[in-house]
Amino acid sequence: MKAEELRYRKNFLLIVVFMVLISVSLIVALFLGYNFTRKYVENEFSSNKIEVLEQTLAPFNTFFQNTVPEVSFYQGYLDSTSASKYADSVLQQYRFVERIIFYDAEISNRPIADGLTLGNFSLGIKNVFRYGRNISKDSIVIFDNSNPGGLSLNNAEELNKAGLKLGNYIEQADTTQALSEETIFKTFYNIIPNRITYMNVPRREEIKVYKDLMLKKLPPSPRYQQDIFTFELNPYQLVIKNPHPEIYQFINIRKQSFDPILEKPNLLTTDISLSGPFADYKLYFASEKDFLIKEVGRRFMPIAFGVFFIYCILALITFLIYRNLNINQKLFKLQYDFINNFTHEFKTPVSVIKIAGNNIKSAKELSEREKNHYGKILDEEADRLNDLMNRLLSFTQIENRAIKLKNEEINLEVFAQNIIDSFQIKYKDYEIDLLIKGVETFKSDPLLLGSLFDNLIENAYKYAKPGSKFLKITIYRFRKNIIFSFEDKGIGIERKEIKNIFKKFYRIQSQYNQQGSVGLGLAFCKELVNFMDGDITVTSKPGIGSHFKITLPYDK
Amino acid sequence: MKAIADYLVMMRSFLKILSGLFLFIFLVSCSNEEKPAKVSVETFFKNPQQSNFQISPDGKFISYLKPYQGKLNLFVQSLTSKASFRISSFTDQSVRNYFWASNTHLLYYKDNGARENFQLFSSIYDGSKTIKISLKPDTKVTFLDYLKYDSNDILLAINERNPENFDVYSLDLKTGKKILVEKNPGSIIDWIADNDGEIRMAIGSDGVTETLYYREKGSKAFKPVKSSNFINTLKPIGFSSKMHHIFALSDINRDKKAVVELNCLTGEETKVLYENKERDVLEVSYSRKSQSLNFAVFENPKREIYFFDKQLKEAFADIKKKLSNDEIRLIHKDQKEQHLIIRTFTDRDPGSYYFYNLEDRNLMKLADVNPDIKPSEMCEMKHVKFKNRDGLEIEGFLTLPKGRGSKNLPVVIYPHSGPNLRNSWAYSPEVQFFANRGYAVFQINFRGSTGFGKSFLKQGFKNWSKNIQHDITDGVNWLIKEELADANRIAIFGYSFGGFSALNQVVYNPNLYVCAASYSGYINLFTYLKGFPAYYKPYQQMLDVLIGNPEKDVEYLRYSSPVFQTNKIKTPLIIWQGGKDPKVNLSETNQFVKELRKNQVEVNYIVDKTEGHYLSDEKNKINFYTQVDLFFDKYLNRSK
Repeated sequence: MKAEELRYRKNFLLIVVFMVLISVSLIVALFLGYNFTRKYVENEFSSNKIEVLEQTLAPFNTFFQNTVPEVSFYQGYLDSTSASKYADSVLQQYRFVERIIFYDAEISNRPIADGLTLGNFSLGIKNVFRYGRNISKDSIVIFDNSNPGGLSLNNAEELNKAGLKLGNYIEQADTTQALSEETIFKTFYNIIPNRITYMNVPRREEIKVYKDLMLKKLPPSPRYQQDIFTFELNPYQLVIKNPHPEIYQFINIRKQSFDPILEKPNLLTTDISLSGPFADYKLYFASEKDFLIKEVGRRFMPIAFGVFFIYCILALITFLIYRNLNINQKLFKLQYDFINNFTHEFKTPVSVIKIAGNNIKSAKELSEREKNHYGKILDEEADRLNDLMNRLLSFTQIENRAIKLKNEEINLEVFAQNIIDSFQIKYKDYEIDLLIKGVETFKSDPLLLGSLFDNLIENAYKYAKPGSKFLKITIYRFRKNIIFSFEDKGIGIERKEIKNIFKKFYRIQSQYNQQGSVGLGLAFCKELVNFMDGDITVTSKPGIGSHFKITLPYDK
Repeated sequence: MKAIADYLVMMRSFLKILSGLFLFIFLVSCSNEEKPAKVSVETFFKNPQQSNFQISPDGKFISYLKPYQGKLNLFVQSLTSKASFRISSFTDQSVRNYFWASNTHLLYYKDNGARENFQLFSSIYDGSKTIKISLKPDTKVTFLDYLKYDSNDILLAINERNPENFDVYSLDLKTGKKILVEKNPGSIIDWIADNDGEIRMAIGSDGVTETLYYREKGSKAFKPVKSSNFINTLKPIGFSSKMHHIFALSDINRDKKAVVELNCLTGEETKVLYENKERDVLEVSYSRKSQSLNFAVFENPKREIYFFDKQLKEAFADIKKKLSNDEIRLIHKDQKEQHLIIRTFTDRDPGSYYFYNLEDRNLMKLADVNPDIKPSEMCEMKHVKFKNRDGLEIEGFLTLPKGRGSKNLPVVIYPHSGPNLRNSWAYSPEVQFFANRGYAVFQINFRGSTGFGKSFLKQGFKNWSKNIQHDITDGVNWLIKEELADANRIAIFGYSFGGFSALNQVVYNPNLYVCAASYSGYINLFTYLKGFPAYYKPYQQMLDVLIGNPEKDVEYLRYSSPVFQTNKIKTPLIIWQGGKDPKVNLSETNQFVKELRKNQVEVNYIVDKTEGHYLSDEKNKINFYTQVDLFFDKYLNRSK
């Protein structure tokens, strides 16, 4: 395997490819999302009908499971008054019950005129009543046993069915066992289209008696009360509950034979059969295609928005990565330059030392003047190297906050004047004014403060045309701070460069810094000031001069 | 003189100190009263080991029922020697009841608990010569112990001829052959023989009106003496030594039941032998030997005995002295009435069976009813009174749990069944079970309870969901007012009619109870009415007065029946139902529970398919009470 090549790589292409990829993904996601939503809505159109069915039939189920069996609770004791009360409450509560027919029946082994006889067992009829919403009072009674033989075939039909079922059950009833729910359903209910007939469930004891009546020859028995109710139902009166109006535009109850395709071809339809007494009917659902498409759109919007949002975040991240890479590249370049400069910087004293060393080595004999001369050169260049290294070291130390700040009382006048003096010895043409207002001493680390002064005074000299090498230093107090102001008449700094000058390794490219500069000065100053809990700012006009201002806290 | 005075002063101050000391000890012991350990459900509700003690006519043997291979069987223990015998060895069904037919013979029967598959046997006391007496299937037999013990024959009432009617037969114990002695004309429900084994009295009934018939010795024809309906009571006790006179318990023309002497020829009450102005006489002990009365029992509020018989009075005093004043109930006596079997009890002690010899006053313990119950761990039952909304004083019993103070307690209201029954001051496993769990238990003798006279009883008629329930509600509110009950932790538990009350309470007082338990509670009065042979006209009249007419009082019956009021129930319930319960219909209860659950009411519904109205199987019983325990714990021990 080839060793990984360690070099700086370009990322632009990668980023472009990535952007293209996520854009494609966006489009694919939107497309798929739309299709899935459409499928989902179509699915719901066919599956949610069960929910509609359940909710629509809920009142019927309550009626069937609670209200109908309530008849049994009366144990056959219902008569015209109490039955009519019961019937009224049913009719009031359930619109779909059209009419209720109540057969007040009695079971015995006596001969009967009207009713059903199975062997010795007879189901006689006392009265038949009819209850409904629009039934006049005088037509409530449809049969009365004081008028025997008057029971019409039509009215007797349900009674006969109920009686036959009961007789059939009693003939083979196991009276030692409790009645199972299944037997009850099979025996005491008769469900045909649009009609439920229910007979009150006798207790185990009565069933025993009925069985004896049927199978044994007994003396005339008492009459045992049984109540039979026939509920006539109208499915069209079922109140349709539509919990999904967004999917189903129309819901109706239709006959099973209803087929709408011929009428409206543009309609999406489905249906579900009703059960029990409504088995002839179905719930019919329909929606126009446009209606469903609107619904798809409504559901797709949040999905699309979500996908797009994620896309935007990805794009933003990509941009940030691109930006960081760019900065890193610049930084890389800066460090590269720095090493170049620094090497260069080291090179000068090293080559001077080398020349001096060679000269000393090749000279047969050194005069006192030569010895002094070379000694001075070596000493100075070694100092310069030392100074360079110190500066590099202290810079990294300050950057990492690895040194401890001293806190000494500094007489500002003496301190500043000493530095100024040393510069004026070095540069004869350098004019420096010092002005100290309202402050004499300052507690700080003299070495660090000295470095600040050195750097700024040095810079002011360096970046000035000959003849305008002038610096005005002002020290004064402002509120709780002390301010050191350095105003020069140098070349100034371009506006766009100002934000960069405090960065590490940054140097303004100009004729003034060809050598003896590493681009660390101002970055070092910034680090120092930060370290001393202060601030450094600069205002500058190219060609006129720069004004550096150091603010340090006075009362610590 | 002065010395005596000094002595007296000293004594007085000493007594003062002493009484102070006692008070101190009392207070300390009160405040330090510890919460007793939890006693298991099994301990409270397991079946007793030995039960139904009887003594042989000659007083030489003790007999009892005891489990053998899981079923109750008959055992005999000799009192003169150490010999003991197992008479029966049934492993399929328990011996339901038995009877000393003579000095040597025992008659006993088994059935499946629902009086189906009835089988009758005769054995000698050592278990030998067992014969099965042949009977038509589904025949039932009632013992009439009116015969001479030394004879070989015995009188039985058997419904072999017609399931509705019991005829009197004479049974030869050796051969097992029976001869019809008296044919039932159709309405006789009870036969009473005199000391010579001659049937002299009969009680006829149309289901509502009971008529007492009497005939003179050697006569054929019974003559009606007096009738009583379901409101009045006339209960014959036995023949008086006075010709044509009998003893009876009667409240005809008075409010409280009293012991009277009745002339059977005129039907007149000739003498009032004992009458309590405040309470009904509840039981009377009759001596066949001397044709006189032993004693009468009433409760005011504890059991009190009025003695007619001096010897028994002394005997009871002697027994009481020997048994630290426990309550005594006479269980059985021998023919000479010199040997007794008694049972003791207190509110905290289920008690024991003892044998007592009147001649040498020797008391011998036979068995404990429930030896695992430690009376010291049980709780005291206190008699309390409160005024109901109509200003009438209602009595009840309050049992406070030990070591929990007497304020803001969780309470279980335990209405009795019936409703024509009563709560007595006695040991009750349910009461002690709840009290042991840290709940106060409140029992109320609401209107309609027995023992307080006829008019009090009548106030419960057709008032099952009104007066009776009002008294229960008023009792609960009284407990809250007295700060005994924590108003947020009140439960109600009841069996049969008590279950009906529990359900009625939560229907009409939805905020009073945190939970309720109905053990075979009636849920539908229509079904309850249907349980009577309603085609019988007199019955119908009685039921109309007692409960209501199913056709005319539909609204009232609907109001009273919980099955119609499911929408009003919000309280969590625990319901037990027997699959073969003739009084509460299984399918109705199923429907009831279904509707409650549909309304989001929590229902713990337990059905035992093989059980009837009453939990007879020990395992089922323990399971039910364990469930009740958990259920009540969930709601009554909630932090407020």
